[in-house]
Amino acid sequence: MPDSVTRALGDGDGEGSGRQWKVPFASLGRGRSRWIVVFIRNEMPLVLLVVLLLVGGLLSPVFLTPRNMLNILWAVSVLGIVALGQTMLLISANFDMSVGYVVGLVGVVIILTQTALGFGLVPSIAAGLLVAALFGLFNGGLVVLTGASPFLITLGSGTLAYSIALALTGSKTLYTPIASFTALGQGRLVDGLYYSTAVFLVLALALEYALRRTTYGRSLFVLGTNEVAGRLSGLLVARTKIMTFVLCSLFAGLAGLMVTSRDGSTVANVGVGYLFDSIIASVLGGTSLFGGFGGTLRTVVGVLVLGVLSNLLILMDVPAEAQAIVKGAVFLSVVWADGVLRSK
Amino acid sequence: MARLAWARSHLRLRANVVLLLSLLALFAVLTGGSTLSSENLHNLTQQIAITAPVVLAQMIALLIGGMDLSVGAVLAMSGVLAVGLQPLGLWPAVIVAVLFGTLIGAVNGLLVTRAGVNAFIVTLGTMYLVTGALLTYTHQQPIAGTIPAFTEFGGGDILFVPTPVLIVLVISAVLHGFLVYTRTGRNLYAVGGNADAAFVTGIAVQNHKLLGFIIAGTLSGIAGVLLASSLNSGSVQVGANASLTSIAAAIIGGASMFGGRGGIGGALIGVIVLGVLANGMNAVGVSTYYQIGVTAVILIAVVVLDAVNSRVVSRPSLSNISRPSLRRRSNGVLVNRTP
Repeated sequence: MPDSVTRALGDGDGEGSGRQWKVPFASLGRGRSRWIVVFIRNEMPLVLLVVLLLVGGLLSPVFLTPRNMLNILWAVSVLGIVALGQTMLLISANFDMSVGYVVGLVGVVIILTQTALGFGLVPSIAAGLLVAALFGLFNGGLVVLTGASPFLITLGSGTLAYSIALALTGSKTLYTPIASFTALGQGRLVDGLYYSTAVFLVLALALEYALRRTTYGRSLFVLGTNEVAGRLSGLLVARTKIMTFVLCSLFAGLAGLMVTSRDGSTVANVGVGYLFDSIIASVLGGTSLFGGFGGTLRTVVGVLVLGVLSNLLILMDVPAEAQAIVKGAVFLSVVWADGVLRSK
Repeated sequence: MARLAWARSHLRLRANVVLLLSLLALFAVLTGGSTLSSENLHNLTQQIAITAPVVLAQMIALLIGGMDLSVGAVLAMSGVLAVGLQPLGLWPAVIVAVLFGTLIGAVNGLLVTRAGVNAFIVTLGTMYLVTGALLTYTHQQPIAGTIPAFTEFGGGDILFVPTPVLIVLVISAVLHGFLVYTRTGRNLYAVGGNADAAFVTGIAVQNHKLLGFIIAGTLSGIAGVLLASSLNSGSVQVGANASLTSIAAAIIGGASMFGGRGGIGGALIGVIVLGVLANGMNAVGVSTYYQIGVTAVILIAVVVLDAVNSRVVSRPSLSNISRPSLRRRSNGVLVNRTP
């Protein structure tokens, strides 16, 4: 990634960047070219996304078609919704390790209330989202009351959610009896634009607005930067924190709803992959793991980087097994380059 | 302050021993003593010993104020290497497998200390890298061992004692001696407890962190070899949950997410508690689903008690809250300038 950027800009000595371990951009970013560094530093995820899109366009003729773009958006929208909630928590210097298993549990609850209790469409979805909200309340409540590390609390509650989902399903696949249920996940607003994609994008915009323009959103940045200062200046720290945990779990629940209605079935561990991917997407987008910086539109970019990358790898016939290597390598080089650029 | 922390960690250790003994007694009563039969104790200690090194690895990573999410992937990859490279001979395969762990530990450590990236992110990245390499190498198929002697590491006995128990005891003794009685070992605590203070004292903070990650990686490699040896096969699935369960075991054993706390004894007790729990619940006939839940509840209980306890005993609430931001500054500005 650093090499490709250097070459694409035609600036700096590309051949030196491998050897110089500490400062690969030694000649870049001094004097008049300073703005380049500042721009890349602030908008690196966007630069990376554009580079990936250009590379994809050059490599494959079908890549840049609207249909393929919409497919990528659809493929990432479930992960994206989880990542939006995770981003809100990360900005406030908190963390949710339970999202992956909450996704699974909500799907199980929705289908189980339909089959075992005979709930209709809306009540079953409400039950699923209620369970998600309760988990958020549990996480947030414990973190606020005890001051314990959110990482460990949510690790524990996530494992608990997994255990409940396993016990409820007996690790079998559950199928929905309601035909119209699948319309939510498979239905389209207009041709090519799925409901879940639209929900994802609308939520991202709404949350970005909330983060920039509402008291709640702006207080998240204060919590993430300096919680004591926030408390001393009169923010309702406990309430804000609990709200954010509930929000994050609700988004995981929404993702569980999306994935269950898309497939028409669910298993307990359907959401396992979303846990680390949601953190990766947030961090790739530029949200800080230590709080105080970030945004949900950045997370959209981060999620799209992941989606475009995997789409590109599939188009290039890279075996599925090797894709994890590429993902890890891209992720590591981005955060590394980020660290290097930030130190300038 | 230091004495208070010491006293508290010993209190924790003692509480864990009490927890362990009551668990043993509970299951012995529930099963009519069959969990204390020599046969069950043999199996129990063997299983615990096989899972122990990865918890020791996580303990060291947490001790230096880091975390290692890649232990599970490294464990699986080392196991696969130890089995897959057996055409080269037994010892070369085992040594390469352990050194693979060392290598990934060094990569983690270098990225954390030299590139200044957070340990969570770095080890998450290497987790994906190693998992990808693992899937590419095995094509998701388990690999069977070809040299019978290989099973001795994880499945054999020496004088009626399972070999892995002896191996883990030796490793633990060496690590305990290193952490408690050598200057470098004690510096690891200092670095994890307060990197700023350690830096000002003249400790090479970054080099100690690097060393910690290398030890953790090596231990994960050893864990992979022991596990593959006990199964006589290398498999992709084995590491899937190891990262998160090892964190749980280390935390139950007294480690802290903020570093500087914990020890080898604590880690062993943490892994023994979880092992006894699983073994006892199996004997009583509790389904695996509920076992996972019980582990989760214990983790939450330990974390909550620990947090409440440390808040009441030592720190006024304001300084407790400001701790993460203090740490952030120390990680970002001061420590990274270390030559």
